[in-house]
Amino acid sequence: MSDLKILAVDDSPTMRRIILNTLKRAGFTDVVEAVDGKDALAKMEVDTFNFVITDWNMPEMDGLTFVTTLREKDQYKTLPILMVTTRSVKDDILEAMKAGVNNYIVKPFTPETLKEKIDQVLAG
Amino acid sequence: MSEVLNLQDKIKNELLDISGTISEIVDSYKQLHSPLVETQKNVPKATEQLDKIAEQTAAATHRMLDTAELITQREDEVIAGLNIIKEKINNKNYDEVIELCDDLALKASDNNNDAFVIMDALQFQDITSQQIDHAVVLLEELEKKLHRILAVLNGEDNKDLPEVSVSKKRAFDPHADLFTNKTNQHDIDSLFSKK
Repeated sequence: MSDLKILAVDDSPTMRRIILNTLKRAGFTDVVEAVDGKDALAKMEVDTFNFVITDWNMPEMDGLTFVTTLREKDQYKTLPILMVTTRSVKDDILEAMKAGVNNYIVKPFTPETLKEKIDQVLAG
Repeated sequence: MSEVLNLQDKIKNELLDISGTISEIVDSYKQLHSPLVETQKNVPKATEQLDKIAEQTAAATHRMLDTAELITQREDEVIAGLNIIKEKINNKNYDEVIELCDDLALKASDNNNDAFVIMDALQFQDITSQQIDHAVVLLEELEKKLHRILAVLNGEDNKDLPEVSVSKKRAFDPHADLFTNKTNQHDIDSLFSKK
């Protein structure tokens, strides 16, 4: 079991369930869900998270804007962020890197890849 | 002489009138041409997206069915194994019971893994719903263009047209694909390792 508190941000309820189950299997049981960047920011106002997993394409506030907004705030400058998205065009990946994500997974992903990337990000 | 001049003026006015009408026709044609060309381009795109969805949905469903069949087959073996265990306990063959229990635990673990394979395969729903959103947006664009064409044909001014309503706010990746990624995970890892 890990004591990591994870915020999983995705507009697809199916994806959120899959991510939650995959995280649970990998030993991460403390997970909070958010439906988009705006919802995630609201949840971060009232709770503290050690890790963020976010999708890119979401209504209201997309993942890229969400990451950029987080990185502008001092308290989130070093917060580990993993982007999990269908966007696999190289320019998009470079844009996400520039915005400040620590790692990037293209959907569909395997549970092994998710666990591996979380470990890599945590290892710095 | 004055009659000739009058006739000249009349002809001139007629020609100006004809020229004005031609300009109007050309303007209308220009207004119609662009949406028609875009409409023509977007129909195959929307059709292609819908074909892709049908294809990817079928492939993911087959993958889930294959895995579910494996699970049910294993469950039948587990039930049969439990009946054998009962018999062996009655006959006090405890070593064989332990061996069977190990075998059944392995099957249960395989079922657990396969349930996760199904869960992974269900990611197709997120990908195909993005493809559907893309197709819907293309169709909404077509609706708007056709609306404009109809307005021009009815002689209405473009700027007076009411907005075509959009059913919901959509966020999607137009390249979302279940099987083919533009950049594979290995190349993404290389990009991040250089960071």
